[in-house]
Amino acid sequence: MQFFKTKHNFLVLATAALIGAAPSAYAAETIRIGMTSALTGPYNEFGEGNRRAVELAVEQWNARGGINGKKIEIAMLLDDQLNPDRAVQNMRRILDDKSIVGIIGPAGSGPTLAVIDMVQADGRPYMNPIAQTPVITYPDGVGTKPRSNVFSFALQNDVESVAMGQFLAKKFKRIGVIHESTAYGVSGLEYLTASIEKNGGNKPVAVDSYNQGAQDMTAQVARLNRSGVDAIAAIGLGKDLAVLRRTMARLNVTAPLIASNGALGLPYQEGAGELTTGTLGTMIGAFSDPMGKATAAFAEAYKSKYGTDRWWGADPTRPQLFMAISVANGYDAANVLFEGIRRANSTDPKAIISAIESIRDLEGANTTYSFSPERHHGIETEAVKVFEYAREGDAVRLRPVAN
Amino acid sequence: MSKLVDLITNTWTLAVLCVVLALAAGFVETGTVQMWSFVAINILLAQSINLLTGITGQISLGHAGFFAIGAYASALLMKGAGLPLPVSVVVAAAISAGAGYLLSIPAGRVREFYLAMMSLAFGLIVYELAREWRGLTGGVMGVRGVPSAQIGTLSLFGWVLDSAWYFRILLLSLIGTMIAFRNFVKSHYGRAFYAVHVSEIAAGTLGVSQAATKRAAYALSGGIAGLAGGFYAHLVGYLTPESFGLMRSVEILVMSIVGGLGSLTGQVLGAIVFTYLPQRLQAFSDYQFMAYGLILIFVFTLLPNGLAGLLKTRTRYSKFDQLGGIGKASPAVALTQRHSDKAASHGPLIRVEQVTMEFSGLRALSGVSLDLQPSCITALVGPNGSGKSTLVNVISGLYKPTSGRILFKGKDIGGQPSHRIAAAGITRTFQDPRNVPSFTVRENILMGANRLYVHGPLAAALNTPHAKAEEREMLGRVEALMATAGLTHHAEDIIGDLPYGIQRLAEVARALASDPELLLLDEPAAGLSEHEAERLVQLIRMAADHGVAVLVIDHHMDFLARLVNDVVVFEAGEVIYRGDMDGMRSNQAVIEAYLGKEEVSHA
Amino acid sequence: MDFLIQMIASGLSVGAVYALVGLGLNLTFWTTRVLNFGQGSVLMAGAMITAVLVARGCNVFLAVALSLVVSALILWVIEFVGVRPMLRIRGSMGWVVSTLGAGIFLQGSASWLFGTQAVAFPDVLFKSSDTIELLGAYISVQYIAVFVISVVIVGLMELFLRRSTWGYGVRAVAHDRELAALMGIPVRRVVVGSFLVSGLLAGAAGVLVAQVSGTVDPNFGLHLLILSFVATVVGGMGSAVGSLVGGLTLGVIEKLVGGYVSPAAAEMVAFVLLVAVLTIRPQGLFGKADTVKV
Repeated sequence: MQFFKTKHNFLVLATAALIGAAPSAYAAETIRIGMTSALTGPYNEFGEGNRRAVELAVEQWNARGGINGKKIEIAMLLDDQLNPDRAVQNMRRILDDKSIVGIIGPAGSGPTLAVIDMVQADGRPYMNPIAQTPVITYPDGVGTKPRSNVFSFALQNDVESVAMGQFLAKKFKRIGVIHESTAYGVSGLEYLTASIEKNGGNKPVAVDSYNQGAQDMTAQVARLNRSGVDAIAAIGLGKDLAVLRRTMARLNVTAPLIASNGALGLPYQEGAGELTTGTLGTMIGAFSDPMGKATAAFAEAYKSKYGTDRWWGADPTRPQLFMAISVANGYDAANVLFEGIRRANSTDPKAIISAIESIRDLEGANTTYSFSPERHHGIETEAVKVFEYAREGDAVRLRPVAN
Repeated sequence: MSKLVDLITNTWTLAVLCVVLALAAGFVETGTVQMWSFVAINILLAQSINLLTGITGQISLGHAGFFAIGAYASALLMKGAGLPLPVSVVVAAAISAGAGYLLSIPAGRVREFYLAMMSLAFGLIVYELAREWRGLTGGVMGVRGVPSAQIGTLSLFGWVLDSAWYFRILLLSLIGTMIAFRNFVKSHYGRAFYAVHVSEIAAGTLGVSQAATKRAAYALSGGIAGLAGGFYAHLVGYLTPESFGLMRSVEILVMSIVGGLGSLTGQVLGAIVFTYLPQRLQAFSDYQFMAYGLILIFVFTLLPNGLAGLLKTRTRYSKFDQLGGIGKASPAVALTQRHSDKAASHGPLIRVEQVTMEFSGLRALSGVSLDLQPSCITALVGPNGSGKSTLVNVISGLYKPTSGRILFKGKDIGGQPSHRIAAAGITRTFQDPRNVPSFTVRENILMGANRLYVHGPLAAALNTPHAKAEEREMLGRVEALMATAGLTHHAEDIIGDLPYGIQRLAEVARALASDPELLLLDEPAAGLSEHEAERLVQLIRMAADHGVAVLVIDHHMDFLARLVNDVVVFEAGEVIYRGDMDGMRSNQAVIEAYLGKEEVSHA
Repeated sequence: MDFLIQMIASGLSVGAVYALVGLGLNLTFWTTRVLNFGQGSVLMAGAMITAVLVARGCNVFLAVALSLVVSALILWVIEFVGVRPMLRIRGSMGWVVSTLGAGIFLQGSASWLFGTQAVAFPDVLFKSSDTIELLGAYISVQYIAVFVISVVIVGLMELFLRRSTWGYGVRAVAHDRELAALMGIPVRRVVVGSFLVSGLLAGAAGVLVAQVSGTVDPNFGLHLLILSFVATVVGGMGSAVGSLVGGLTLGVIEKLVGGYVSPAAAEMVAFVLLVAVLTIRPQGLFGKADTVKV
């Protein structure tokens, strides 16, 4: 009591109380985002890349004053190690927190499929950065009504396969297809076949599959070769594609290999070594020369914050193509979400969703985004290019192939 | 500490706890209720593997296979056939039990690490099937849109279940299953499972068929794991083969071992710890692989009995505590009185007719014939290697005689499996006591009564009045036997900690608990003190007085002299003397057999 | 015809590796009746270490040598920490669990240390594009090299076991441990030696397999372990010739089924074979049936 009697002390205490109270009052006025991804564990390539991208986006927005004056906060950042059960538990915790305004989803189709029904039931805006299975966005199939609150920034299987099909139909007569036995591979095959036929090509003459992590694909490659294929199309992850490539060399198969985006990343290059030359792959073309303005700006900002790290790639002067799939998609996902909240000027889910659906021609790192009530995915075939590993001097570079 | 644990595991405490949880489910966050649901599912899984590995001793490295079968079955039945929740989950459990039964056919025939390999292969086959059989399981895409509580698509006869109500239903099912399970484990069935674990051969001599028991254990274990799977499917709403791979099997194994193999309480502890640990301890989940690896390497060294061992809690394998003692039943009778009219001759109880036993050229028994009468104690003596134990092994069914017959009450039992012979009323002991070291004296002796039980598994699980009455009767017999054997003050002691002599007496008491007609004792007096030998004599005399035919193999002539007046002498697989003890001492052939022929020396 | 030859060639090659791994498993089984359930992870470790060292600029042969040494040391640690304490426990459950734990720990450690993406494996023997033509089929020289090296190692081991002093020691301990000790054989040293050699074999097998597939990642050991188990069981636990025959048989059947039926069926072949052998003739082709004295 003695202490308070002095006016001086009282003022000091009062000011302290105000300063102490201010941050909490301040904190209630942030935009809270939730995210679960494979931050650690065997698959953290994509999860960690996404995290860096989202944090960069948050930093940039906050530097500009946040969304309509409110700072953005990643209130929940959880690790699921790409494990579906874990993703379900994490998503449950995120959804239980009613103050979360928007959600960034897991780094693969497995955990995303596990949580997507529960997310749809909840209704808050959900951004899918990576999972390529179209069913995540369009539960009844591509071309039908999308889930109302799900927006996808991934290179969908159908989009990638359509691009691949366009390319293959024009150049090859006897196409052999080999795919991994997962959701990604199986649905990829279906879309690829449809696209080839639509573009006037012949149905694949041989189809085969392998399990992820297979050590030996001799049987499959031998069978494809037996059918006299003039090109082998492959849908799978980089590490397995490397095994495929080596097997092809061992069996002296000369037909070219055209693969999905896994072929253009570090795991494939490391695994196939010298054999990468001549391999073709489809991919989001944003990071190839010349980079668009928005893409270049993103690359600069990434480099300043994180340096030329594993996600940037081996060449310090230019980012690797694969950034489009491991980092830039997360960046665009976060940006579109924030843009939607800004336009809606509200945290009401329906308002945000309408706002996102009203976005037309918004320049992102990977492509120009246009959404609508019917279209909830960002990447379309225009954004996809076919690349080839070609020798330039004593280095091997990825060059876009003219269509 | 064990008193505290007893308090917590007391039925009433648990009932209150469950009511509290059920009520609280409506007030806590959905995420919390879901964690509770995961715990409940893990408890079921831990109990299921404990039954197979901890109690019956059959290691299971692929237990996720049963979990997967139950999950997919229930999901597909509900989606495809529209079965309501209770039916789909129960049918899924039944299908999973069937898979367990099928697995037991090859698995029951192999042991040790061969079994471990086979179980590993089983787990991986189920995983591969789930991945490859796209038509049924959706392959790697998995099964989507399973009616689930957390999305609000699960309904029970028109009533939509939310997460809280799903938890309540799950909790109720868990409680019901666990109570029935606990009763089952404490019944003679549980003891039979444990007997197979400790010694398949000894189990046979108690009348327990190790093959049938293993089939039952696999089926029951598979069923409970399948039940867990069904509930899991409707909790998460989406199934992918990745949830049922090796890591899942390892998790189940870790939960159970760390909780404490053989302990029902331990399983609950293990399940709680390993459901919450990855969630709470971020470091744990980062290094989960390494952590599980380290746990498996050191668990048997550091925590041989798991957490349950730490808390010094022990699962009781009899219903003595449950029933509150034997009650006010009339003074218990240890043995049935048989053949009280001694005068009338019924013919020999057992007749061995020209039995020969050969092992790849070695002839252990050569044309042996002898009879044994009820109420008679006969000694079987002879030098080492003369075939005494072999004869007992042949009669009790461990070996099939190469030729000859063995007639028990007129019927030829030669070559029948030992458990059937034991069930018919022939009981034997072994040269070293084959007790269950971790059971109490009472529980061990009670195991002997296995063949007498009438009530079936369902009655055992539900503790019907008939089952309880029968249990009381058996416990009464055990009390009477312990009294005669002088073991009453050891009733609650763990037999493995007791001196050899007490173990031996307990084993003989256990043999008597089966109320046999023919008792075969293999060197029962070896290693007994004077006092203990006296008790043994009392037990054997009591048996004979009640009409049991007794055959005793031993070397202690003083011991035998007090007990018998009818001796059979073996030598090199043949009977060389049958008669009384005095005659034996002066018989030339017997002397030669023991001491050798006298050398005639020439001056 | 060329297809058939290709299948058989790759089957023999991969089967020879199974035999090599199986021999390593047999070795520890002889001296301690223990089968290392973590052997697959040691294979992975051997391959991983080689790959990582080469990637950091180390000479290829030095890298292989180092990884062999490390593999042997890993087995030594497993014996000390996981096997010896467990032998006190009756039955096999103790060491099955502890060796399995060791394997899982290794797998987790590899993920943690080297990251979890696949690491490229350098060309130690020839290049993957080197082929020779045989009866119209192109067979990779690497396959042939792997086959030859594996068979040579198995042959050397067999010779060693039959002719060398240490080999006698192993067979004595395998037959009767106590008797061997009484005869003056340093049982402890024989046991440790057998584990070290088993580690060498596992490391070598890992390098050979990785050579053929081109990449290594922490998961690849388990599959090989199961298949090598099956090979050992088919050939007969405790027989070196058995593991060679079993391995080659399994490898060829697996590739033929995979080639003519489907890869999924090939996965099943091993398991079906395992169940069939354990049910019909548990001691395998060359093993001895176990008898129990009552």
